[in-house]
Amino acid sequence: MTLLASGTHPSVPSWWGVAASVLLVVVTVAVVVREQLGLGREVLVACVRAIVQLVAVGALLGVLFTHTGLPGSLLWVAGMVAVGARVAGSRGRGVPRSTWVAAVAITAGVAATLGLLVAAQVIDAQPRVVVPVGGMVVSAATRGTSVVLLRIAEESVTARRQIEARLALGLPSALAFAPHRRTALRTALVTDIDQVKTVGLISLPGAMTGLLLAGVDPLTAIRYQVVVMYMLLSAVAVAGVVASRLASSRLFDDGQRLLEPVA
Amino acid sequence: MLVLEDVCVVRRGTTVLSEVSAVLAGGRCTAVVGPSGAGKSTLLRLLDRLLEPTSGRVLFHGAALTTYDVLELRSRVGLVQQAPVLLGAHVLADLRVGRPGLTPDEAAALLERAGLEGLPMDRETSSLSGGEAQRLCLARALAVGPEVLLLDEPTSALDAVAAQSVERVIRSLVADGLTAVLVSHDLRQARRLADDVVVLRAGRVVESGEAASSEYLAGAS
Repeated sequence: MTLLASGTHPSVPSWWGVAASVLLVVVTVAVVVREQLGLGREVLVACVRAIVQLVAVGALLGVLFTHTGLPGSLLWVAGMVAVGARVAGSRGRGVPRSTWVAAVAITAGVAATLGLLVAAQVIDAQPRVVVPVGGMVVSAATRGTSVVLLRIAEESVTARRQIEARLALGLPSALAFAPHRRTALRTALVTDIDQVKTVGLISLPGAMTGLLLAGVDPLTAIRYQVVVMYMLLSAVAVAGVVASRLASSRLFDDGQRLLEPVA
Repeated sequence: MLVLEDVCVVRRGTTVLSEVSAVLAGGRCTAVVGPSGAGKSTLLRLLDRLLEPTSGRVLFHGAALTTYDVLELRSRVGLVQQAPVLLGAHVLADLRVGRPGLTPDEAAALLERAGLEGLPMDRETSSLSGGEAQRLCLARALAVGPEVLLLDEPTSALDAVAAQSVERVIRSLVADGLTAVLVSHDLRQARRLADDVVVLRAGRVVESGEAASSEYLAGAS
């Protein structure tokens, strides 16, 4: 019995290796039980869920890569966008139709970023590439949209007096809310900008790590990582700006009045 | 100048104003007074269209407010809120929020009008006292050239000395011909400043007319 898979790259664990990694779950459970954190059951449920979800996704991706081609992959990406829109939309409570706003924003971020990469032939338009890269882009766009919607919903309540002071000076709603919209967008982008700044210094990023584990030369692996970093930044920027503009316009009625906060 | 005709406002199922009719004459200061929750601030917000009446209408120069472009209306009817709300990092930036092209000379004239002569244009607004900040808000509202100034408890967040300085400015603005609508819970202040008074109680007008002959204001000791 070997814990490393035979016939594949030596650093990929076999199923026995995966089973052995359960020891790490035991370590985690031991820590939370000993420290009386009340999280033992949650850790077990999370770990079981993770393995079930990943096995299901792995099997589904196998089918996707071999049978459905590019249309199936794009459908998969669309599904991820729908899930992302639901998650990000829930952050914008107080913004009317926030899930719709999130769906449009994430779609815009994904379409612009993936479209550019495919059009410039930076990545191949094949399922094995579109699905994982699309996943990263959707995830980044969702993260950016979530932050923007959360901040915009908060600002519309906490900065109500400032917004109405600007409206009372005769400013149109877009200008009256502009400083708050920019704050939301800045907050969403700062995290990703910091990641770009520190990439490789604090930790090796995911795509590069995956390629290194798969045996790719480090200087080749960084090429992919550079593209990934810029791609994630662009996804957050495009999704964030679309979300911020759509969300802020929905906070006002036709009479340039800030809507009442949701009770 | 401003006339309310049978105005009702219902918010979240609660009647805030009921069949309110009043005339707010031009070139005078009208105080809107009454106990807390009487609907005073709601009435003020109607005049700037920050709130729409559920029924009834508000007239400005004889035409319904809804016939005016809302942005133009708000530049003609300015609002100063209860506590100072500063919008720029320094004095000149704050004055320019509603009028980006304001020159330093015009800004200096506005500051003088608001009793802030000599205040440096580059002074950080975060360092202003409460009274200075509220007078800067007055100057900023004046920068867009309003005919009417709506004042929502403009001194309630200030100490006595700062409140007096703001009152002096309001008095001089009205003397210069500006129309003012002052919401106040301070009846003595209303007596000091107002030419006319509208008394609200539980969303209804219970008295209106000249401040000098107001029974409600006469009750203020």
